[in-house]
Amino acid sequence: MLIFLLAAAVLAGTLLRQVPPSILANPASYAQWLENARGAYGPFLTDVFEALLLFDVFHSIWFRLLLGLLTVNILVSSIDRWKGIWTAAFGTRTRMGDAFFEHTRFNAVLTPALPVSTTAERITGALSDTRYRVQTQVDADAVAIYADRNRLSGFGSFLSHVSLVLILAGATVESLWGFSDPQFIVSEGATSELGLGTDISVSLEHFVDEYYLEGPPRDFRSEVVIYDKGVPVKEGTIRVNSPMSYDGIRLHQSFFGQTAVMKVTDTAGQTLFSEPVPLAGRTKDEGRPLGSFNIPEQGLAVNVIGPTSGLTDPLVPAGEMRVEVYAENGDRLVAVQNLSQGAPQEMEELSFTFQREGRFTGLKVVKNPGINIIWIASILMLLGLVMLFYFPHRRLWALCKPGPDGTTEVRLGMTAQRDVSLSREFDRLSDRVAGELGTARESGDSGGGAKDV
Amino acid sequence: MYELSQYAFVASFAALGLALFLYLANLVGARSVQLIGAANGGSISTSTALGAVDSAGRYATIATINALVFLSASLIFRTIDSGRGPISNMYEFSLAFAWGAVIICLYFEVAYRLRALALLVLPVALGMLAYSTTIPSEIRPLVPALQNDLLLTVHVSVAVLAYGAFAVAFGGAVLYLFQRHDTVRWLPRAAVLDEISYRAVLIGFPLMAMTLILGAVWAHIAWGSYWTWDPKETAALVTWLIYGGYLHARVLREWRGAGAAGLLIVGFGATMFTLWGNYFLGGLHSYA
Ligand code: HEM
Repeated sequence: MLIFLLAAAVLAGTLLRQVPPSILANPASYAQWLENARGAYGPFLTDVFEALLLFDVFHSIWFRLLLGLLTVNILVSSIDRWKGIWTAAFGTRTRMGDAFFEHTRFNAVLTPALPVSTTAERITGALSDTRYRVQTQVDADAVAIYADRNRLSGFGSFLSHVSLVLILAGATVESLWGFSDPQFIVSEGATSELGLGTDISVSLEHFVDEYYLEGPPRDFRSEVVIYDKGVPVKEGTIRVNSPMSYDGIRLHQSFFGQTAVMKVTDTAGQTLFSEPVPLAGRTKDEGRPLGSFNIPEQGLAVNVIGPTSGLTDPLVPAGEMRVEVYAENGDRLVAVQNLSQGAPQEMEELSFTFQREGRFTGLKVVKNPGINIIWIASILMLLGLVMLFYFPHRRLWALCKPGPDGTTEVRLGMTAQRDVSLSREFDRLSDRVAGELGTARESGDSGGGAKDV
Repeated sequence: MYELSQYAFVASFAALGLALFLYLANLVGARSVQLIGAANGGSISTSTALGAVDSAGRYATIATINALVFLSASLIFRTIDSGRGPISNMYEFSLAFAWGAVIICLYFEVAYRLRALALLVLPVALGMLAYSTTIPSEIRPLVPALQNDLLLTVHVSVAVLAYGAFAVAFGGAVLYLFQRHDTVRWLPRAAVLDEISYRAVLIGFPLMAMTLILGAVWAHIAWGSYWTWDPKETAALVTWLIYGGYLHARVLREWRGAGAAGLLIVGFGATMFTLWGNYFLGGLHSYA
């Protein structure tokens, strides 16, 4: 069954390691990642898993195929069932044949000493009191009564299945027209262009991180200004649980770090670079905070390395920055120096100054035009389940025929689908009808002895 | 307040243990009365013995209700002390899960006049309480990601009720497997047990859907993405799909019996995995 296949696929995606997207984007680190996986699962299984795309289940072609199949399946079965649901809700026959009353799961016979018309009136009255909707049909040989309740229940099944398709539709809209940048970095006192086809840029006034006395973090917040085509349009504070949104784009607090404000001047005293450099990367060996910038005029690439926090770092003492200068656009290391704050240093005939430290904020930028579809689908899903499970459609038929000596023979019948508490409901209704008619149930079957409750 | 909460916890632990003992006494009593009854053809002594057995059962229910009251009190005192919903770390979550299991079990016990269910559900709840004593219980301040009191409280309360319902479905399924051919006289008929499990799933399945949805709303706000295939989310989805499969099999194929019961046991395994999965799998949910 499709549902279990889906469950199995999702389970595989939970139990097996999944490659993070950032690693997948880079072939070298993916190779490294696979090497690690070989250590964990053994070479053979790793190759099998990789061939089956099991390390990235949720983006794999077969998982999408499975979802596509699910969609088709749900749509086809929903269309297929639509007529049945509609008929059950609106097109039910008032009069059922005699065979129905004999074979239906819940049935009873009553013989009140009343004429047919009075009997029918009293049954109608008794059922209306129980919040059932009652229809009557007077035929030459009999009076037929049909009563039902929660007749829209069946549409709950329709709603909850269609909502699954809608959720997939929302996700598709997102992947077609949405975008996301999980690592949008803005330094204090600087402005970063968002890119991604927008004219939006963001500047960070302050980043604040606060801690409880016991040590765990209490608050992370970025005070930002958003510009559209260079014009400030919105300012405010972004916190972990309160993102900021502008024009359908949302900015979420995601991470933060240190910056080094660097200034580079040439021998003539002209400024070539003067900006905060976010140390958002990590050096390969010791994992020190690492940032970089370029001086295109000279063909130089510069790495700025900060001290490992918390420890006394022999290579980069606290309060200093280590600067590596690479020539030929980053291919050849030509100079390395530790800079203390505020003290200019000659390197490659330029003057480098580490002016001060600051903070940067890492925002997650998301535009998801499909999100409202997802929320609507969620509401429909819950609504559908509640209708289906807690307001089951209940249907009762009664047929009143003249019996001997001015009595009436009344047959009652109910059908059961998934409604497990129907036997109690049937007893309640038929006892009520019997009470109204001044008689007792003579024969019948309210499910006892049937194959289940 | 913190001390009061701890006292209430101990009291509920004791009450729950006592309740389990009384349920067992009730069970053993019912079995031996059956045997005596069979031996001397239903004499007077049988009926007095039956009375005693019955009152053991009644006291068991009362003890369970007490346990529920104490457990609620413990959670309420914690709430007062910390000024936020009492479900933001594994300790509080374990208590809340025990609470969910006990309350749903009591509901079914009353609705079906069925004490046997507690024999399987109370050990699950007791296990959670016992487990909670092994992890730090002090009240810690919330890290920024959790600072959304309304969503935190609702998301997790709905989750514990769903888990509680699945625990009851599990209890019904295990009893069903013992009672498959209606051979055990002190248990309800197999069909009744099957129905209880089904009804428990009817409660748990929508609650689980709601847990997933509220989780998505929160992830949307806090992480910027309503669904990240985070291991805990994914495990919850698997759990939900398993119960979805169970409902289909039952409605479309009239699939009951041992297979359905087995599936409910697997489903409860998945539920427990969802609860603890982040311990093996890491991920963004790693604080709970
Ligand atoms: C493979 C695609 C699917 C098909 C063809 C399908 C078909 C059906 C059909 C025909 C019914 C009976 C409806 C009725 O009695 O009114 C049903 C019931 C149901 N389905 Fe699906 N379904 C599919 C996927 C799903 C999924 C993925 C879920 C969510 C986990 C789901 C949840 C339900 C629920 C909750 C019920 C009601 C069960 C009950 O009444 O106890 N379905 N489905």
